[in-house]
Amino acid sequence: MTVNGQVRRAEVPAETTLLSVLREAWGLTGSKLGCDVGDCGACTVLVDDLSVNACLLLAVQVDGREVLTIEGMGGFDYLHPIQAAFERLSSIQCGFCAPGIVISAKALIDKNPHPTEQEIREALAGNLCRCTGYTKIIEGIAEACRAPVGTDGSA
Amino acid sequence: MRSFEYLAPGSLNELLEVIRDRAPDFKLLAGGTDLLVELKHGPSDPKLVMDLSAVPELKGIEETPLGLRIGAMVTHSQIQQSALIAEHAPAMMAAAATIGAVQTRNMGTIGGNLVTCVPSLDSGPVLVALDAQVTVAGVHGRRVLAITEFFVGPRQTALAPDELLIDILIPTAMLGRAAAFRKFGLRKGQALALVNAAASIAVDDDRIIEARIALGAVAPTVIRATDGERVITGKPTDDVGALREAAAVAVTEARPIDDFRASAAYRRELIAVGTFRVLEEALALATSS
Ligand SMILES: Cc1cc2nc3c(=O)[nH]c(=O)nc-3n(C[C@H](O)[C@H](O)[C@H](O)COP(=O)(O)OP(=O)(O)OC[C@H]3O[C@@H](n4cnc5c(N)ncnc54)[C@H](O)[C@@H]3O)c2cc1C
Ligand code: FES
Ligand code: FES
Repeated sequence: MTVNGQVRRAEVPAETTLLSVLREAWGLTGSKLGCDVGDCGACTVLVDDLSVNACLLLAVQVDGREVLTIEGMGGFDYLHPIQAAFERLSSIQCGFCAPGIVISAKALIDKNPHPTEQEIREALAGNLCRCTGYTKIIEGIAEACRAPVGTDGSA
Repeated sequence: MRSFEYLAPGSLNELLEVIRDRAPDFKLLAGGTDLLVELKHGPSDPKLVMDLSAVPELKGIEETPLGLRIGAMVTHSQIQQSALIAEHAPAMMAAAATIGAVQTRNMGTIGGNLVTCVPSLDSGPVLVALDAQVTVAGVHGRRVLAITEFFVGPRQTALAPDELLIDILIPTAMLGRAAAFRKFGLRKGQALALVNAAASIAVDDDRIIEARIALGAVAPTVIRATDGERVITGKPTDDVGALREAAAVAVTEARPIDDFRASAAYRRELIAVGTFRVLEEALALATSS
């Protein structure tokens, strides 16, 4: 499969999840294992541009497809606008939920660059955060969308 | 997870051949949002998991001479985004939107939802209100069932061990029928329904000529509240009292349970409120068109 633009291979037993291949075979430990049953969203990645829970996919189901994880979103030299806004607003506390939240937020704003607060909340319904109470996260995503994209600079 | 063999057949015939050889020791994998949880934490220990994602016969949404056909592998997100569903059966979009969260809807399929057949399944009530049929196929051929025959009990459908669900059909007569869906959970996102309800209504000459009321999570499987339906059939379209009475009668047809999520008494309140609201909404749609 292609992971963050790079072709990767692994030979694993059929029962291996996408999440464990990412983390254990390839050392991409940004995606987290939280609940292991699809509830918490800490393992959220994009597969062919759709957000999915990597804990509920077998790696073989993703054979030949394209995956984006948090490691493909930005690093210390370049932050994605969502990450930059989270940093500016201190949106994140412990950070366990953050990789999944950033991916869910990206899936949202790629399709809908100017979401309402309600749309942001709906897009994050599958991502639990135990620390922040969500307010700063939602403000951070709204702020990232206010980055100068529209000609009139409006959100 | 315990180990298993994995196959992804490329056609229905190929799939049925494997089923003939291996039944009943296999599991079918659609979106995996129920199955993977079961394989990880449940008692199930199949030797073989068969991925349905490469079987073309299970995909797509299309108009046919018999009605609107929805492949079993269509995901909840695809239902939310389908122009054909928006035109012919928009209440299905309302139901799909309440299932889990984005990640679950992107993977989870309507077929997987119907086959898992928990009493609270959210795609069930609208399909019952729209008189849907399902096609199932097995080693010995195909059959078509009413959706109400397909649901047998909690986690139990009419599928034989060597059969699978192929597609769902909304019959032509029900296309564009005014219909509505409501779900009540403990919170807005990611919650199983305490009660879900759907209704469809046809009017003629300012009278209700046909009504269907479907309730979920209030009995072992989705039920039709036929006594409630009878209360409003033939009534003038401005008779709001009749809708309330139908909702009250529908409560008596349900068998809600007490559990850790809610009491039976609270569920009965929700049934009354939910039934009234879906009837009101469906009637408003029926009279405005
Ligand atoms: C976090 C979370 C939240 C959820 N929230 C909701 C909710 O709000 N409402 C709700 O109704 N459900 C909910 N679900 C349950 C689940 O997502 C849905 O039932 C979903 O539609 C299942 O579809 P799937 O494609 O993932 O099925 P799978 O898990 O792939 O399959 C489910 C079962 O059906 C069988 N199967 C699948 N397709 C076929 C077929 N074509 N023929 C024969 N057998 C088949 C499989 O063998 C398996 O036994 C939730 C699940 C999770 C993990
Ligand atoms: S670990 Fe995948 S959703 Fe929680
Ligand atoms: S910041 Fe700790 S879980 Fe979200």
